[in-house]
Amino acid sequence: METGSLVMPRRVVPLARPDEGRAVSNARLAMIILIAGESMLFAGLIGAYLVFRLAARNWPPPDLPRLPLGLTAANSVLLLASGFPMARALRAARRYDRRRLARSLGQTALLGGTFLVVQGIEWVRLVRHGLTLASGTYGATFYVLIGCHGVHVLAAVTWLVVTGLLARRGAFIAGRQAPLEMCAIYWYFVCALWVVLFPLVYLS
Amino acid sequence: MTNAIRKTRPLVPVLTVAAVLGAASDVLAQACAMCGSALSDDPLGRAISWSIIFLMAAPYTIVGTAALTLVWIHRRAAGRRRAASMELAGLQAATAGDPSGGGLS
Repeated sequence: METGSLVMPRRVVPLARPDEGRAVSNARLAMIILIAGESMLFAGLIGAYLVFRLAARNWPPPDLPRLPLGLTAANSVLLLASGFPMARALRAARRYDRRRLARSLGQTALLGGTFLVVQGIEWVRLVRHGLTLASGTYGATFYVLIGCHGVHVLAAVTWLVVTGLLARRGAFIAGRQAPLEMCAIYWYFVCALWVVLFPLVYLS
Repeated sequence: MTNAIRKTRPLVPVLTVAAVLGAASDVLAQACAMCGSALSDDPLGRAISWSIIFLMAAPYTIVGTAALTLVWIHRRAAGRRRAASMELAGLQAATAGDPSGGGLS
């Protein structure tokens, strides 16, 4: 007799895990609450940005450098493209394909890491051109809003790396995929946030 | 319930509507310094107005989205449970009719 499953002719029906009967697991609920809180944080920051942006007669101020639109647009494509390997990772986890799962998570983390590196290079150039946190409301709102998103991307990339290492050890098999799903939800949230922030800060 | 309360009860909706309409009037709104500047026509006032509207809408949007997500997860899980129970019932029926006796092992 196989432990943990009912073996029937030509079919294996896994036994239910303790929290499987619930429609919304504790982990998912916690993730929804976390994301709602994070969304309110960014809503507050965007609200402050809107006040300064709409009240300003010249935006950006004429003596400050313009933001690099082309480079950031390409960088945005990188970040949004990272959603595809993440979706592939979830599919691989459902098929218990450990190697593909680890590889897809690695690709997602690599794309996220590249986004951060390019953002860092862009920031260094902007600081050299005179746009600092002390450059009035323009510099302050830019660095706080984009910096806050960058910190979230950094946290998500770290989470991805840890999840990828655990996946290589085979941690997400036999229905134990909740941590992976939470990581994926957070990554999608970070990507969706950029879809709002990029047009708001760079295109408006 | 006393007679006085019973008599004043129908007035509650009327008083509520009157209070809401009264609070929305421009004169009362200008009693607050922030609302006064928001109602004015300068760019900062308009900017604060838009920001207030955005920040008012944000919690409703976020909580609404979270609630819809929970409803969607709940409905999807119910559908999956139904499908799984139907599949299991079909398998049990097939097993009961199997002459080789392939039961649970």
